Amino acid sequence: MNRELVRDAALLLALALALGTAANLVPGRRLAWWGRGQVPPQAGVDFQLIDALAAETLRVTLPTVVVIDTRTAAEYAAAHVPAAVSVSLTDVQERLDESLLARLRGADAVILYGASEETDVEQLLAQELRRRGLAPPHVVVGGWAGWLAAGVTPEGGA
Amino acid sequence: MGWLRNVWLHRLLGLALGGVFLYASAGKLVDPRPLVTIIWGYRILPPGPINLLAIYMPWMELVAAACLITGWKRRAGALWVTALLIMFTVALGVNAVRGIDVACGCFSTSAADTHNAWLLVLRDLPMLAAALILLLAPPRANAEARRPSSAPDPVRFRS
Repeated sequence: MNRELVRDAALLLALALALGTAANLVPGRRLAWWGRGQVPPQAGVDFQLIDALAAETLRVTLPTVVVIDTRTAAEYAAAHVPAAVSVSLTDVQERLDESLLARLRGADAVILYGASEETDVEQLLAQELRRRGLAPPHVVVGGWAGWLAAGVTPEGGA
Repeated sequence: MGWLRNVWLHRLLGLALGGVFLYASAGKLVDPRPLVTIIWGYRILPPGPINLLAIYMPWMELVAAACLITGWKRRAGALWVTALLIMFTVALGVNAVRGIDVACGCFSTSAADTHNAWLLVLRDLPMLAAALILLLAPPRANAEARRPSSAPDPVRFRS
């Protein structure tokens, strides 16, 4: 391995470190630099998985249910579950203010849904809610498409 | 094995491998947080450095991919791609031996997107071979360019 190659590789490493550091300073996508004690969200601890039909049943039968839509603002604006609140993982700090947290604490159930079958974002948001003292919320398997299939009448859009 | 030093082969491999890494880095750059869950799922690293890896690895993939595609510092890019692929292959291999189908985090940051770890190892090997060609068999054009100007021209020398 010649000296020029080592120098070039070090240059690329420095470039990646600089870009990564700068990107991690952007609010909304920031990660703690050192993941001490951080564990991934766990089913049964941080959230409970629920199918869309059961979620719809909870929504229409319990007196106070807060539904959180984790999709993008544009997707939310196009159509969403009636009375759902839009909170994406990238605006948690701004959206989870005291009034919303108080509403979530007082709810009989909190239900999170996303765009697709993948529930990673909902799980991370559920973990964040747990860190803020809430009971494990429900995460809808199948997301928005599943909820539509379960027969919900969408709200929003033109 | 002189064909391995063909400049067009290097351009083609650079484009293909760089394209794969560019695509792989895109989703992780937008939001690295789901990647933390993916890396945790490998059950290899302790919690501390997982975040550092999630913060910097996608940018290393992007920078290396850009080098492979553009040709600027291509060998250095290939060195980093080789290092990353070795790291991925070892991590996948460890879980394959454990019998765990992991969410590799290669092109998706979904923890539900699991695959047979042995198949993922096999998928990495052709990419590793391409990266090694780019790294260890620099094209002939470079060798010509590096020839000192004072060195005798082989054609004229013969005549």
